Amino acid sequence: MNPLSIFAETLSNIAISPMLVAILFSSTFLGIVFGAMPGLTATLGVALLTTLTYGLEPETALVALLAIYVGGVYGGMYTSVLLNIPGTAAAAATALDGYPMAQRGEAGRAFGLATTSSLIGALIGMVFLALVSPLIAQAALQFTSYEYFLLALFGILISGSLTSPDLAVKGWAAGLFGIWLSTIGQDHIQMYPRFTFGMHALDSGIDVVPVLIGAFGIPQIMMVLESHLSLGGIKASMLGRILPDFRTLIKNARNIVSSALIGVGIGAVPGIGEDIAAWVSYGVARKSSKHPETFGKGAPEGIISTTVANQACIGGAIIPLLSLGIPGSPPAVMLLGALMLHNVAPGPMLLKQQPEFVPQVAAILFASAITMFVIGMILSKQVIHILRVPQSLFMPLIAVLCVIGSFALGLNTFNLYLMGIIGIISYFFTKLQFPIAPLVIGVILGPMADTALRTGLKTTDGSLLPFVTRPISLILVLVILAIVGSQIPAVNNAIRNLFSAMKRKAA
Amino acid sequence: MNTKKLIMGLVLAATTLTASAAAAQDRYPSRNITDVVTWSAGGGTDVTNRVITAAMSKYIGTNINVVNVTGGVSGSVGLIQGYDAKPDGYTLIGLSESNTTAAAMGGWENRTEVFDFFIATSSPDVVSVGKDAQWQTLAELVDFVKANPGKVRVGAGGAGSLHHINALAFQKGIDGEMNFVPYPGSSASQNAALSGEIDVVITTVAEQNQLIQSGDFRPLGTLTEGPYTLGEQVIPSALELYPELKTYLPISQAIGFAVRKDVPVEIKQEIAKAFIAAMDSEEVKTFAAENYYELVGEYGAKANARMARLESLFSWTLWDLGAAKVNPEELGIPKP
Repeated sequence: MNPLSIFAETLSNIAISPMLVAILFSSTFLGIVFGAMPGLTATLGVALLTTLTYGLEPETALVALLAIYVGGVYGGMYTSVLLNIPGTAAAAATALDGYPMAQRGEAGRAFGLATTSSLIGALIGMVFLALVSPLIAQAALQFTSYEYFLLALFGILISGSLTSPDLAVKGWAAGLFGIWLSTIGQDHIQMYPRFTFGMHALDSGIDVVPVLIGAFGIPQIMMVLESHLSLGGIKASMLGRILPDFRTLIKNARNIVSSALIGVGIGAVPGIGEDIAAWVSYGVARKSSKHPETFGKGAPEGIISTTVANQACIGGAIIPLLSLGIPGSPPAVMLLGALMLHNVAPGPMLLKQQPEFVPQVAAILFASAITMFVIGMILSKQVIHILRVPQSLFMPLIAVLCVIGSFALGLNTFNLYLMGIIGIISYFFTKLQFPIAPLVIGVILGPMADTALRTGLKTTDGSLLPFVTRPISLILVLVILAIVGSQIPAVNNAIRNLFSAMKRKAA
Repeated sequence: MNTKKLIMGLVLAATTLTASAAAAQDRYPSRNITDVVTWSAGGGTDVTNRVITAAMSKYIGTNINVVNVTGGVSGSVGLIQGYDAKPDGYTLIGLSESNTTAAAMGGWENRTEVFDFFIATSSPDVVSVGKDAQWQTLAELVDFVKANPGKVRVGAGGAGSLHHINALAFQKGIDGEMNFVPYPGSSASQNAALSGEIDVVITTVAEQNQLIQSGDFRPLGTLTEGPYTLGEQVIPSALELYPELKTYLPISQAIGFAVRKDVPVEIKQEIAKAFIAAMDSEEVKTFAAENYYELVGEYGAKANARMARLESLFSWTLWDLGAAKVNPEELGIPKP
């Protein structure tokens, strides 16, 4: 049986079974809710459903799990656009332009663009999963510790430059502060406690979720309450149309393709996921845009690139999961566990013994993407009415949700204090016009930068040469140097002089 | 009249209710049981616990809910939560051999002796190299290691993990020295072996089976007493090739759950019965076969002795490495 007919058969199986359709819709919806709520993440959603679907058939369980994954990554966008509090780290980059758009009265347009772009991203990811899995999986394995370190550093630097365009150093400072926060606790190699001051609660380090909620949620709540800012007067006609804005999308075809490729590529590299994909594609979109100055002020390109990339990342993350048994992103780790529970062991043998599995997964991913689009379009129309509620009434409710979100993961009271402290620090960061996002990205990627660098050095007896002798490393080093160099006036002038001298010579 | 009838009825209802409640208390289990798994969802301990408890709940007739309570050192947060629950048999603690280091790592004050263990599964460790490696047999690798001390890079999970301890024992046994590169877990070590960042990887057969069968890994020897058959290939036993290894090995994985020692004996017997039935069930057998786990099925004194040995081995190894926080001697852990 050829893959295409397996794909079609799986799709029709889903479509004609009322139970599967019900599972598909409810899981996607649950995913969107998980994604939108600060603190509840796609990973947590997949974990929850893993337990609930244990008794079901493997294929049915997979429908539920992939649907909640797709929904969870998509849902983070709602809170980003409406409140500037990203529901998940993957949606943090979407807030940069989504929130300004909403403030301009174009929340509907932002939702429409994000929903359609998410659909496109998910579908492109699926196509790559279905067609070129083995190829991408092999390429992703070329990443060793040196590349991981550079990739983490690159992720932190780029989010710093992007969120603080006037003075990138401020963004980097926030990123460094995040890296420092991430070093608290026992280090991951020798288990030596760093900055714990003998407190056992700090031994396991700083959890990302309370940092995410504290850093994004608390300053936003305080700012809104402080400024008595109210969007209550907005009329429905001002919310913008929700229907997909095809003209903008067609104009962005190049942006969509490059963001999707970045999403698939980053998704396929083990250990990093949707959040970095969104930042990198945002950076590329801004660099290649004709109007980079509109970014951060409500540019549709920003929303399109981030949502395309984080959805394309799903297909990307499943590629090494199915072809090598190596999950490409944190939710994919949960997916691996769930598959093993159902006695499906993903890996090279699965592809040989059950070649029909990949087209099946691709079909389920396709169905999930379509469902996400349908629910998203219906939901956007309703969610938008939240903007009618005066924000000063709404924010205390968000504050309660933040507290619940920080506590829910691990039921650890220490995380509540942590959220409070990080929140207050972030509030002053915001007041001093330091961006918050690099801080969070620093906390997320810091451990990877730390352990990958030390592991790499250990494998080569402390040699720094692989940074320039390994091809992928070399490219990353050059990109990082370019990012840093462009912020140093002396370097900038030197390059400008060099170019004008060359021009003069040529003339 | 009506009031009288009503009161009579109420009294009757109340007595039947209390009677049935009392009867329910005599019978174990009368409500849902919670299995506090100390490692994250999706890992070996979690998956094994979910499969075993699902089979057990069929036998005892109530649900066993698996919750993951992770964090701390060596899963201490979950251990403490499980230990602090009432010792009534309604709380199981899902754990593995790695939890035995919790005391030495400063995670909590108790030793393994506070628990009664039920060990369900285990998978043997295997020494493998990437498909492009220059060594075809274990003898070639051992000769190279001896000729080039510290040159061969070996990955085996994190520092202080079962695999790390196996790697140390292997080096001691062959009297060679390798460069141990710690990774956060088994899968990260295997990725590093795939990308060629390290030369040798020591993790379980359950974790490596796909990569071995696809030819990406070349298994050189298992760290068990006998050879291991995986699909069509037979992996020789390193212990048979190098009998000196038997001084330190085998050290096997142990995944299962525990209850507090002071849980009433009758209740522990009920749990043991359910555990035996579960180990004998088709779904557990299928799960083990599909995922290359060996079924252990130990409980009582035998299981406790196994965990006590692992505690001693792990704690002292970590102390010798300088990684442990509390001297095992102070904890009263005997030297291996």
